[in-house]
Amino acid sequence: METYGWLLDQKRCVECRACESACKQWNHVEIGVGVRYRQVRVYEMGVFPKVSMQALSGSCHHCEGAYCIKVCPVKAISRRPEDGTVQIDQSKCVGCQQCYAFCPYAAPQFNQRTHKMEKCTMCVDRIDAGLQPACATLCPTGALQWGKWSDISEVGSATTGNFANPKQTAPHIRFINDPYPGK
Amino acid sequence: MALTRRNLLKSTGAAGAALLTVPGALKGFDQFFRPASSLSATATKVTTCCGICSPACGMQATVQDGVIQFLEGLPGDAHGEGHLCGKGAAGAGFLYDPDRLKYPMKRTNPNKGFDEDPGWVRISWTEALDTIAGKMKGYIDAYGAESLLFITLPGPDLLVRLINAMGIVNRTDHIDVCFQTDRIIQKYTTGGKTWCNDFENAKYILLFGWDMVSKAKIVYANGVVKARSNGAKVVHFSPTYTATSRMSSEWQNIKPGTDLAVALAMINVIVSENLYNKEFVDAYSNFGQYEAQIRSHFAEYTPAWAETESGVAAADIARIAREFAQSGGGIVPAHKKTLCANYMNSTQLVHAVSILNILAGTVDRAGGRYFPRTVAIPGVDAVYPPPAYPAKKGARVDGRDKLPFVQETDSGLFSTLADGMLTKYPGQIKMAFWNAYTILAFPNPPKMEQAMKSVEFVVAMDFLPTDTVSMADIVLPSAMYLELNDVVARDYQAKYPQAMPRVAVSAPIFETKSAGYVAIELGKRLCPDYFKLADGSWINPNVLLDEKVKRAGLGENFAEFKAKGIVEKPAPFVPRTTFATGDPNGKCQVYVPQFAAKGAEALPKWHPKREQPSADFPLYYLTFIPGIHRRNTSENNRILHEIMPTNAAILNPALAKTMNIKEGQTVVIRSRVGQIELPAHLSEIIRPDAVMVAHGFGHRSRYLSVAGGNGSRDGDVVPDASIDDFIAAGNYGGASCIMDVVCNIAPVA
Repeated sequence: METYGWLLDQKRCVECRACESACKQWNHVEIGVGVRYRQVRVYEMGVFPKVSMQALSGSCHHCEGAYCIKVCPVKAISRRPEDGTVQIDQSKCVGCQQCYAFCPYAAPQFNQRTHKMEKCTMCVDRIDAGLQPACATLCPTGALQWGKWSDISEVGSATTGNFANPKQTAPHIRFINDPYPGK
Repeated sequence: MALTRRNLLKSTGAAGAALLTVPGALKGFDQFFRPASSLSATATKVTTCCGICSPACGMQATVQDGVIQFLEGLPGDAHGEGHLCGKGAAGAGFLYDPDRLKYPMKRTNPNKGFDEDPGWVRISWTEALDTIAGKMKGYIDAYGAESLLFITLPGPDLLVRLINAMGIVNRTDHIDVCFQTDRIIQKYTTGGKTWCNDFENAKYILLFGWDMVSKAKIVYANGVVKARSNGAKVVHFSPTYTATSRMSSEWQNIKPGTDLAVALAMINVIVSENLYNKEFVDAYSNFGQYEAQIRSHFAEYTPAWAETESGVAAADIARIAREFAQSGGGIVPAHKKTLCANYMNSTQLVHAVSILNILAGTVDRAGGRYFPRTVAIPGVDAVYPPPAYPAKKGARVDGRDKLPFVQETDSGLFSTLADGMLTKYPGQIKMAFWNAYTILAFPNPPKMEQAMKSVEFVVAMDFLPTDTVSMADIVLPSAMYLELNDVVARDYQAKYPQAMPRVAVSAPIFETKSAGYVAIELGKRLCPDYFKLADGSWINPNVLLDEKVKRAGLGENFAEFKAKGIVEKPAPFVPRTTFATGDPNGKCQVYVPQFAAKGAEALPKWHPKREQPSADFPLYYLTFIPGIHRRNTSENNRILHEIMPTNAAILNPALAKTMNIKEGQTVVIRSRVGQIELPAHLSEIIRPDAVMVAHGFGHRSRYLSVAGGNGSRDGDVVPDASIDDFIAAGNYGGASCIMDVVCNIAPVA
């Protein structure tokens, strides 16, 4: 089974939120119900003037050891056999938010209108059409990349600042933490 | 295989699939924000370009049954490099905004104000145009053409033709709050519009308040990312730590409005230590001719002096100046609001910046600021030469005619318009025509509201029911960029000529029309000779577009151009050796004698910013345009609203502590002209002597169901100006001072 994952080079992220916009657009994510499949979170660190920032574009990481699948009381969350992506079956979900409570990355989102959980599907419909997920397609600087997990899993680092310990759920995301060259 | 973006694309076969299948798709105007049925194999991809901002990144629209399903970048395009920013990706959120203006309307309640119900009544286009034409004629007959005010960019060309044909002297736009100072300085120092930045080949990038990374202008942001990836050093002078600072090698938290001092001191170091690029400077600038004056002029601006003004250490200023000059590829960009328009001394700053580029020897050279190599698109006057236009008579209410260098640019002054209408020329303007501008775009919007109320008859053309629309007598619903055909010449990343079609991806929704249509229809009624062709027929905008395409060598007609998608004319980059600055020898001008001849400064002198912290107003007031929003036009876009719904008063926790202000607590920000209330957001990214507010929020229109009443208008505490203020301060470039503000804050009990 070919599986996929994300590769994030944070130093290239300009916080334009093209990934967020693209995600909402492609997936027609409902507006005004508190649902953001993907979100760029900006963290400030230090005290003025010794201050720095980190921009972390995050979504569901389609973890190998996904807690959400284990804790869902109605078995609404499962893996797609073709690629191991983690999917929520809207017809089964009862909106109990257990998946949200256990997810280290706050990926499942509660739709305030339908009272069910939704999250990033990894745009499996695009993958099936031979395309990349919408977010990685739009990212203008190459900060957010996507590809075969076999190509990504050894690249860069398993974790980064402000990211939950990857040993918990084995998320399919890697980080390029190297700074720019030169001074 | 190295893991690059390209390889990832290859390995997943992501490029090229044209037909898509999506589970949830929008069905149309009313259905856009609800999940709908699946996208079938009839979906097509249309090549066009984005219309959110001027680089016009190449774009592909996936369309089914006339409905836009997805917008993405156009692979291979030099501007977006195959991508869009968050605003561009949310384009359908503008097109399908349920609040859009749908029909022409007229006001039935004569009382104007945001608390008044205008009593809109739907009317036909014919009635709207007849009414407007009748009013224009009536006012011109009674008071002259100077009683009309058009608030619009100089486009479309058909609208400018109408303005010229009617002899209307008062057309104004926002360029003074954007890049006007740079335009004036470049005209006389390098001889043109050097706003292309060859960042990727630069060795050293100096950024004075320049914040285009944070603004997500991706054509620039990508350049900075590439520069850093190539090992270039980037130094950012900014009173706040932004995404641009994060992208930089070094951040200097400079005292607001003192960048000029640092730039002058850097020139001092580079000149006194003879670190400038002698080959370029001797051959291509007038430095040699005015060397004595130049050396003597900058001698007093030492790094030690600049430290006292700016708070940047003298040793750092000298070090950065030396590193910049000796890097062999230094660039200082200037284009756009940040730096060009913010302070009363911005004209001098932009001049100093231009001198730094000349001293670095990178003007129109690799790694420097270069002139765009563009496709020349003829305007309507070139295609259909008009009869002679009448002379324009009467006073410019914004006072532009008092600033000779601004007058040459044919742009306007938003910052002085309200004062001119209310104080200097009260009652002169009887009718105003607003095209795609809102009151939020002005410093001190309450004063602009007052000025609007002093006008008898107001027309507003827009695609959304903005605050301006709320004050109008006649409203014209405008088509937006996804509904219009046009030809766009690129001029941001234009090392070789490129042109793109802007394609009507969607048919105009409801009764929306273009400003060009309005111009022709008013022209038929008011000045037919200017809109009639030799054979007696009227100008047809579609035929005009075909003719423009043909004459620009882009295709036989628009349809053919549209089928091509993008036309590029690759040519080797030949650096300029003569510069049309007005110098008799065709050189770049460090010393600008033309400025001196008209009472301005041949070399930039130090001027403090207009407003200094005082006992009453001890804090600097800063504003910014968030990267996810476009100035003041995107806050009602549902997608963008959800990402950034409102603004806040951003202040340092150390400052907040002294005033016992907690996160989220409402504070009032006051300046000498007004006050706003906002929730406090405590952040270490800002100096403890400043408060910062995002621009674009605080729309008052009750018809903007998402943006209306949300947040506060940053401009309400920004003083506007009179033209006399500018003259007295030596602001010959008309910098609009949109951050030249001091304020105080207090918690709201």
